[in-house]
Amino acid sequence: MPQLEATPEIDFHSESYKDAYSRINAIVIEGEQEAHENYQRLADLLPTDKDQLFGLAKMESRHKKGFEACGRNLKVTPDLEFARQFFLQLHENFQVAAAQNKIVTCLLIQSLIIECFAISAYNIYIPVADDFARKITEGVVKDEYAHLNYGEEWLKANFDTSKAELEEANKQNLPIVWKMLNQVDADAKVLGMEREALVEDFMIQYGEALSNIGFTTRDIMKMSAYGLAAV
Amino acid sequence: MFGLIGHLTSLEHAQSVARELGYPEYADQGLDFWCSAPPQIVDNITVTSVTGQKIEGRYVESCFLPEMLATRRIKAATRKVINAMAHAQKHGIDITALGGFSSIIFENFNLQQIRQVRNVMLEFDRFTTGNTHTAYIICRQVEQASEQLGINLSEATVAVCGATGDIGSAVCRWLDARTDVAELLLIARNQERLQELQNELGRGKIVGLEEALPQADIIVWVASMPKGVEIDPTALKQPCLLVDGGYPKNLGTKVQHPGVTVLNGGIVEHSLDIDWRIMSIVNMDVPARQLFACFAESMLLEFEKWHTNFSWGRNRITIEKMEQIGSASVKHGFRPLLI
Repeated sequence: MPQLEATPEIDFHSESYKDAYSRINAIVIEGEQEAHENYQRLADLLPTDKDQLFGLAKMESRHKKGFEACGRNLKVTPDLEFARQFFLQLHENFQVAAAQNKIVTCLLIQSLIIECFAISAYNIYIPVADDFARKITEGVVKDEYAHLNYGEEWLKANFDTSKAELEEANKQNLPIVWKMLNQVDADAKVLGMEREALVEDFMIQYGEALSNIGFTTRDIMKMSAYGLAAV
Repeated sequence: MFGLIGHLTSLEHAQSVARELGYPEYADQGLDFWCSAPPQIVDNITVTSVTGQKIEGRYVESCFLPEMLATRRIKAATRKVINAMAHAQKHGIDITALGGFSSIIFENFNLQQIRQVRNVMLEFDRFTTGNTHTAYIICRQVEQASEQLGINLSEATVAVCGATGDIGSAVCRWLDARTDVAELLLIARNQERLQELQNELGRGKIVGLEEALPQADIIVWVASMPKGVEIDPTALKQPCLLVDGGYPKNLGTKVQHPGVTVLNGGIVEHSLDIDWRIMSIVNMDVPARQLFACFAESMLLEFEKWHTNFSWGRNRITIEKMEQIGSASVKHGFRPLLI
């Protein structure tokens, strides 16, 4: 039986780590900022849930501040321009859907895809994070489950009328996520995060969310792997 | 509710099963994809005991493939097992058997250190390796198949390959205490553990594999290794009973010789009514009325409502526990596979 190889020590202050961190940290900051804006936009679209959505938006803002502190702690300047480009396509798809009042698509992008991606990335990051960032991230990931839950509950309650749009939005947006993942593959590796573990955790989290909403195992296997083969 | 964590036997097998089940997204993929694939509950199972009692179960496909070990993708292999366990627990399964390589990976890579899986704290008392039932069935196979072959245990030499393992040591304990086997040959790689076992039993000869095989009337093969070992059948006694209780089973195809009888070890035959789709597709080794004893253990624990990790850790299987699971096995309609 082969043996498990020891994980090499990570030097959080090496140039290569800080260089990779400048992009990953920026992605997280930008992701939280966009999540903040997206929940505010959703509050316009779902006025009855306004208070709750504003509450979620506020939490995302707090997360952003936490991650900014993580960057400062390692004396890293986040490459925010890179991060904005990184999210551009998902950002645009969200804006277009919101302009057309497509609540289901907006929820799929923000509350399912982005939240699941965040949860899986944070969970994979926590064991390899520096002490400061670990504490911050552990706090954040707990909140993100609540955000995911908001989208799940809404879509579950409206499953019959949302199903077709969810499937379509999944086809449109999931392949973008795989491409995004490829873009940060090398940087994530420097931070000790493996691509296959990230993909697996995302598929677990996303599959669970789809299951809670009402999709069958068969639907889930098709939807959560959609487009993965092409990248 | 009981659960079974299973996996497919090779990448090729996985691809063909995915195709057959209608998942082209999975069917056309290589090993990289399977290394990222999440666990899934792929079947609901209803089992009716010969007593008439009915239980419900779930089959959890872990998406582990043996190629992950062969290509040293150890982290992927361990993730598959842990994630499948978390999946089973999240779905409220009371007792789940770790089938195939799952329990071997769990033990070998000390996965008991990993309790927290995302937002799930693993409760190990919801899982069983199934090794107690497997060891019990192998012992009954030795007792009954030897009789079929006209081998008298009181004059027989039994070689146990993998004697210090969880199943191997249990088999040695049983053969020593419950049978009148003339001679026990203990074979394993770790000399220290062999010595401990010999001390515990107060008998048994520690010998090398090459030396042991020609002396043995019965060989119990319970070593688990990804690659098989070549056995020269002409060097064996005739008749010789070879019980292949290792995983995966590969001695049957390798050892073909008149006078040498190879029996799949740790397999039960049953007259239970088991309604499942998945077994006919995934379990190529075992025909419809047969079942891995480790899987059967989780069914037995559910039937008897013994919701506890009945088989757990290494070398903790006692004869009393083998008898306990054995009587439940008989009660509900399982029998050791014979010749």
